Amino acid sequence: MDVAVDGNGKRMETDYGKRWTQDYPELGTDPVPVASRLTQEYFDRERDTIFSKSWLNVGREEQIAETGDFFVQDIAVCKASVLLVRGKDGEIRGFHNVCTHRASKLVWGGSGCKRTFTCKFHGWTFDESGQLVGVPDEDGFYCLDKSENGLVRVATEVWNGFIFVNLDPNPKESLQEYLGEWGERLADYPFQGRTTCYAYQGEINANWKLCVSAFNEGYHVPFVHPMSAPETFRSKKNLFCRPIWVKLYPRHQTYSFYANPDSKMTALEALSAKYGPIVSSGPLGCPPGANPAGDPDWALDANVVFPNFFVDVANDWYFTYNFWPIAPDRTFYQVKSYFVPPKTASERFAHEYGRVLLRDVLLEDVETIEHTQLGLASGVRSHYILQDSEILIRHHLKTVENHVENRV
Amino acid sequence: MTGQKLPKSFSELAPFVAQGWALATERERVAKRCSSTMEELTEFYDAVLPKVDEIMTYLDALPLNDLPEDAQRLLDLTFSLAEASMSVERYQQPGVVDGFDPERFLPFSPFGQVP
Ligand code: FES
Ligand SMILES: [Fe+2]
Repeated sequence: MDVAVDGNGKRMETDYGKRWTQDYPELGTDPVPVASRLTQEYFDRERDTIFSKSWLNVGREEQIAETGDFFVQDIAVCKASVLLVRGKDGEIRGFHNVCTHRASKLVWGGSGCKRTFTCKFHGWTFDESGQLVGVPDEDGFYCLDKSENGLVRVATEVWNGFIFVNLDPNPKESLQEYLGEWGERLADYPFQGRTTCYAYQGEINANWKLCVSAFNEGYHVPFVHPMSAPETFRSKKNLFCRPIWVKLYPRHQTYSFYANPDSKMTALEALSAKYGPIVSSGPLGCPPGANPAGDPDWALDANVVFPNFFVDVANDWYFTYNFWPIAPDRTFYQVKSYFVPPKTASERFAHEYGRVLLRDVLLEDVETIEHTQLGLASGVRSHYILQDSEILIRHHLKTVENHVENRV
Repeated sequence: MTGQKLPKSFSELAPFVAQGWALATERERVAKRCSSTMEELTEFYDAVLPKVDEIMTYLDALPLNDLPEDAQRLLDLTFSLAEASMSVERYQQPGVVDGFDPERFLPFSPFGQVP
């Protein structure tokens, strides 16, 4: 037993008093500079040292299950657009979405299924493997070798069904090496069977790092979610949602959230729980890779892949966040929750309940981000004061700094 | 769906279909929730909540991916109940308290599914 002190100075016992920061002395415990990392100059260095060189998640392989299925992922920070296509051979390939004639953007957006991609400008045509297969009025060109002018490849690899791209023409490590021990731990989590997806997207007027740091700590939960999750993630034993497990990999992170086993469900929540998954369904049948602490009072793990991707795993479902920088104070986000496809109407109902609850909780989270951006932009505070539960923020900012300062 | 019919055994919920609670998409359901008063949300919630088990028993006997129109309408009604429950059970107001603008949090379908 340890002691926690509430906002009124009252001391209480807690089982969750471990100081995780002590396991990572290199992070220190000092206030962390942040305002200086929201500038255009810092943003440009993040582009050059992180987003142009890291493995970035762009989606799931089920999105392009059939030959010719494709989608476009714009990576605004690098002024890049990537076309992802499932080839005849079953392989998923990524290409710069740029025509090799006069460099027009080839596919103007979205997703679909095509055997060939024809440029709108002058009709140059590429097949699903990126080969240039058609040039209108080819006779008019001088020594044009079609075989030399296919689409420019983008390094593309798949881990556990998640598609990643790397804009570096010569990535210095494979995706598997990049994910390392983090990836090994989640190698057997059953992502594959969970293909019903509810997704949301939009723009947040805040720096991308502020978006990441709104979702990798539990300290905010009692204050940001008092009505949507009053006691789901906290109890007398763990008043402030201290983590039940933390692991910092060289770049990536995991944070296990506590679930209160005595949390009182609302009337409809209890009905929904009879029919399908709920967020805090505990470790029963806990999937491989999840709940690494083996704590019976486990809710979910936030698994953060550097720089901008979350895979949050719960018992019967999981959800992901992608945060794409647009400008020093603008970020495009996508949130996706994944379930096993429902076989019955009652299962479908339970998914809808979970989708609505998660959405409203996230609306509470996202609202805080722009207020933080505004506060930091005022220039009054240059540093964050971080507590032990906020260790992932400390680590994320440090990892960004190591890249920007060319220490990796 | 423009019809108003519900499966016979649930005809007492017909007034809520008439009031526009049977909606096919999440956006329509959010708009309905946010434009309703707490009185309307509570009346709808109080009427449908005690029927949920009965509704699910009825619907689970039918093929989910090929529901008759009246059964789909009934399921859509329970999706609106999920929305209304957030207002009635949690927020004590129609929308999220101190929440981000739902108009800036937009559903999309990377897998081409789920309204
Ligand atoms: S730019 Fe594409 S065909 Fe001319
Ligand atoms: Fe939160």
